[in-house]
Amino acid sequence: MKRGGIVWSWLWMIVGILYFFLPLLATFMFSLKAIKGIYSFKSYENLFADPKFLTSFSSSVIWAILTILLGIIIFVPTAYWVRLKVPQLRPIVELLSLIPFVVPAIVYVFGLVRTYSHPPLLIVNSPGLLVAGYTVLSMPYMYRAIDTGLRAIDVQTLTEAAQSLGAGWGTILFKVIFPNIRVAILSGAFLSFAIVLGEYTLAQYLAKPAFGPYIGLLIQNKAYEPAAATIISFALTWAAMGILELVGRGKQVQLVGGH
Amino acid sequence: MTHLTLSNVSKQYSGTTVVKDFDLDVKKGEFVSFLGPSGCGKTTTLRMIAGFEIPSAGRVTLDDVDITDKLPNQRNVGMVFQAYALFPNMTVAQNIGFGLRIRKESESAIKERVSEMLALINLEEKGNSYPFQLSGGQQQRVALARALANRPQVLLLDEPLSALDAKIRVSLRAEIRSIQKKLGITAIFVTHDQEEALSISDRIVVMYEGKIEQVGTPFEVYNFPNTRFVANFVGSLNTADAEVVDPVKGLLSMDGFHFESAEGTKDRKKGDKIKIAIRPERFGFASEQKKANVVDSTIENITFLGSVVRIQVKIGNTKFNMDTFNNPFLELPKIGAMEQVTCSREAVLVLDE
Ligand SMILES: Nc1ncnc2c1ncn2[C@@H]1O[C@H](COP(=O)(O)OP(=O)(O)OP(=O)(O)O)[C@@H](O)[C@H]1O
Ligand SMILES: [Mg+2]
Repeated sequence: MKRGGIVWSWLWMIVGILYFFLPLLATFMFSLKAIKGIYSFKSYENLFADPKFLTSFSSSVIWAILTILLGIIIFVPTAYWVRLKVPQLRPIVELLSLIPFVVPAIVYVFGLVRTYSHPPLLIVNSPGLLVAGYTVLSMPYMYRAIDTGLRAIDVQTLTEAAQSLGAGWGTILFKVIFPNIRVAILSGAFLSFAIVLGEYTLAQYLAKPAFGPYIGLLIQNKAYEPAAATIISFALTWAAMGILELVGRGKQVQLVGGH
Repeated sequence: MTHLTLSNVSKQYSGTTVVKDFDLDVKKGEFVSFLGPSGCGKTTTLRMIAGFEIPSAGRVTLDDVDITDKLPNQRNVGMVFQAYALFPNMTVAQNIGFGLRIRKESESAIKERVSEMLALINLEEKGNSYPFQLSGGQQQRVALARALANRPQVLLLDEPLSALDAKIRVSLRAEIRSIQKKLGITAIFVTHDQEEALSISDRIVVMYEGKIEQVGTPFEVYNFPNTRFVANFVGSLNTADAEVVDPVKGLLSMDGFHFESAEGTKDRKKGDKIKIAIRPERFGFASEQKKANVVDSTIENITFLGSVVRIQVKIGNTKFNMDTFNNPFLELPKIGAMEQVTCSREAVLVLDE
């Protein structure tokens, strides 16, 4: 009976892994077939030779970094304040943070365009609007990650301890709250990064250079290069996660060790 | 000169009064405990001194400065919490130096003060440890050092020992007291443990349902409780219904057994229903036929508590506890035996019905 359970759990795990990796493997194999009859990295060479690849990719990285920064600036103080001062509103704020899940991106982007395309709010061409939009899209991940991080520390007592030692809000946020939810912020940042890197709709309709629309364009015109681009973005995203993981590790040890 | 004064302080939460007309003068260097059952408003009062709550009415002054409306970070008040509340991301030394850094003291001054504090709490070698690497008792000592590093005018402690186990609780309370005496700092200590309050304080404020029941030295509060609540809450107490027989002589009757009380019953009338209260340790076996307060009793039960032997006796229909010191060379009475017990006139307290 027990053995059967183990066999089944292994079976399901293998099925899960195949489900996840087979398409990726197929994409990878396909990307190697640019030259008929042999496997080669030709499609990757073509890609790197295309200046648009680099500009669109680096644009997206910049959007992602700005989105993460804006997200931290907005959501850390918000989540902190809600926990500290109006904990009874937490369920409502949590629900609000999920709105991007229920509003389709296409609806959202037309809302943005309509609202911000005539004076006095003529900012539809500003990159700021794109970053702001991305921040909204990443809210469910960022806000929840931060809120979960705050739950792991005794926000109220730590705040009061700092206050009684003379600290103001700035010191409390930067010296006490931020460092203790670093790991949570990092995990939210990673998810935001992945979302921004793969995002198509907002960048396309706000007409900004970005990786998503670039791949979209490739798909229409090329056969093997889109597959190569997908693999690259996947690898880079995982690399980014690895870096975050490494950066976060040092602190994590201390936080997990608490009583 | 007054040091810390609470005058007529009250606190309400949406209509419910949780602290009422709180009046207290604390002298410089005094160790005052707030003692009372859960929910009586101890923490709320302490938090009003710290600035985390603003009183609904009344004033708080510290060294003649009205601090009632000042923010917590503008008062020079140190706070120690039940949950230690050390900053997990900082080492012990960084925790202790946190307040000094906020005051922008020089690095060398901070370093000096931190090692001074580490020496004070006997944790010199732990400066570079993180809080999670310390035991609960050590963490609370660091929290104490952190609160003291800023040289606060008052040290506030909210049940700082409650999260620790019994042995550490006793040793740390002695350490807190000795540090407090050494520095001559004023301390307010919240506890619901009467033994803790009795052992550590210069004065005890006994609270009940948001009001002060009695303020006095441990000796006064224990031996001369003002109210029935204080008598019951501080130390253990035998109580029984009785009535006044002779108000002038202080003669009382309990089920026909007569007790004399040194406490005046002059403001009462013959036949008034009252309660008599006698502490267990004030009872003893009657060695000779004294005139007053010698009554017949039956031995009901004997409990050996180590240094003390608790003997339950039945006087009439009422059971009383009687505590005697353990003496290995004295034979204990047998259960069911008849013995005469007695207590002094001063031991008989008269409480309102
Ligand atoms: N923020 C608040 N809002 C509403 N009621 C409160 C608040 N803080 C405390 N109270 C109430 O005030 C009363 C006194 O609380 P307080 O924490 O001062 O009691 P305490 O004497 O410290 O008790 P304990 O020994 O359990 O810590 C309690 O009935 C509590 O429910
Ligand atoms: Mg309390």
